[in-house]
Formats: sequence, structure tokens, C-alpha cells
Amino acid sequence: MAFCIAVIGKDNAPLYLTTSDMEQELELQYHVNAALDVVEEKCLIGKGAPESKELYLGLLYSTENHKIYGFVTNTRVKFIVVIDSSNVALRENEVRAIFRNLHLLYTDAICNPFYIPGESLTSKKFDRAVQKLMSGTA
Amino acid sequence: MSRQASRLDAKKVNSEFLTLTYGALVTQMLRDFENAEDVNKQLERIGYNMGMRLIEDFLARTSAPRCLEMRETADRIQQAFRIYLNIQPTISNWSPASDEFSLVFDSNPLTEFVELPPDLTNLRYSAILSGCIRGALEMVQLEVQCWFVQDQLKGDNVTELRVKFVRRLEEVIPAGED
Repeated sequence: MAFCIAVIGKDNAPLYLTTSDMEQELELQYHVNAALDVVEEKCLIGKGAPESKELYLGLLYSTENHKIYGFVTNTRVKFIVVIDSSNVALRENEVRAIFRNLHLLYTDAICNPFYIPGESLTSKKFDRAVQKLMSGTA
Repeated sequence: MSRQASRLDAKKVNSEFLTLTYGALVTQMLRDFENAEDVNKQLERIGYNMGMRLIEDFLARTSAPRCLEMRETADRIQQAFRIYLNIQPTISNWSPASDEFSLVFDSNPLTEFVELPPDLTNLRYSAILSGCIRGALEMVQLEVQCWFVQDQLKGDNVTELRVKFVRRLEEVIPAGED
């Protein structure tokens, strides 16, 4: 289902990145990095308007093979999801649901007292849950 | 997910507050002592001091009479967990002599979000619980040993706390007051 899920910290440091296809990992990382600029742009536009409650940013951009979606939490942590553009099973609502679940998983991981905020996420529990989310069984 | 559904449940919020506070306490102690064994000891002592005071509150609330055997004591401990932590451990694995039993927890509110780092396998994260039991029972003249047999944080299915009766403490009469 989903191709790549990334969590990016508020200063744009990558906290977590996973792909379902190791061979394409580098290419997908490029996409995630490129998406950060779009996220920044979208957040800047949002600043002028009264603070919107919507954390979901929608489709950031698409390439021939991939569609990239974004989500920003109120603490400026970014979630990026890359999916295959030929994938028709994942519509707007499903992507939204992925982000919502991801947000909850991230919140739980952050609540671990042994996790230091801002460090990369190495939690096995989080990783397992995200893998499950990617394979679409969650 | 249960978290979202119960976000506004006051009881749940309080339990998360407890979980986070306890987590912060343990990690801060680890930073200060730099040694998991010392932290275990300190947590146990904190629990012991809490138990010594909690037993008074527990007796006042439940107006429970004196226990005549360990099985009654076990029930009381179970009841106390329900009152103070809203969890119900099951009592099992009695030794043939009825002086040793296990409290089995399916869930432990103290460890809800916790994931132990691989280098801290000798940390007994919930040592406060065993200290609490020991402290409380000592105030009612029962000396017990209390330790963890299984721990969900270490990959076991359940958390199992073993309690062993050691001896009855005789009332100590101050010297000269015969």
C-alpha cells in the first residue's frame, strides 16, 4: 500500500523513515526531502490566515510514479507519506486515516520516558506499528 | 485506538499523568545515579515509604479486620490495587505451604508507554510496587519478601509479582515499659 513513511522533526531533521521497498529507498528519500520545501511553503501561507485547525496538508506534489502527502502537527513535526500513483485504493480519506493513526503512534512513542525529544525514533514498538500501518492491516 | 475514544475521560487523564510523572522520576533517577541497581534500590525505598503510609489509609477506608492467614492477606492486597491503581491482579501459584503467592498483572498503568532501552535490562522499572507491598505489610506485623518474576517490559506476556511470607514481627515493646 503505502510506499514510504517519514517523520521529520521541527528543525527538519529526519526522525524516522521506512520504506516498503529497500531498492527505491534513496529515490524515496529525495522525494521526502523535496516535499519539505512544499510543507514549509504551505505553512507560511497558513500563517496569514487565522490559525487553521487542519493539520493535514493534503497532496504536496506528485511525480510520474509517486504521490506525496504531508501532515504537520502543532509542534511542527512533519509526517510525509509517499504512495504509488497507480494505487487507486488509497483515496483522500484513507490517506487521512493513515496520518491520524501515525499521529497517535507518534504520540505514544513520545510518551516513552526513555525517549529524548528530538532524537531519532528507534522504538521497536513504533516501528512494528508503522510497518503494520504500511501493509494496510492496521 | 482506545486513547482517542477516552481522551476526555477524567480517570484516564489522571492515569496518564501518573504514568508520565513516574516515567520522568525513573529517568531522572537513572541520570542521577547512573546505575540501574541503585535506582532499583531507591525506587523500592520510595515504595516502602509510600506503603507504610498507605496502609493506614487503606485500613481506614475498608475497616478490614486482622488477617489470619496469607490467603486473606492476598485478597487484601488485590483489593488495595483495585482501590489505588484501578487494576485487578489475579492471585495464583500458591506454594504448597500457603506462604508464597504471585500477583499477576495483565496491564500495568506505570508502564503504559514505556519501552526499556536494551542496555537497561537489569532495571526493575516498577520496583515501587514491590516496595509498597513490603512497607504496607510490615506495618501490620508481617515481614515479606517481594520480587518480580516476569515483567512485560522484558518481553513476558504478563507482569508477575511474587510475595513470600517470611515471619510475623512481634510487637516491640519499648524497654522499660513492661
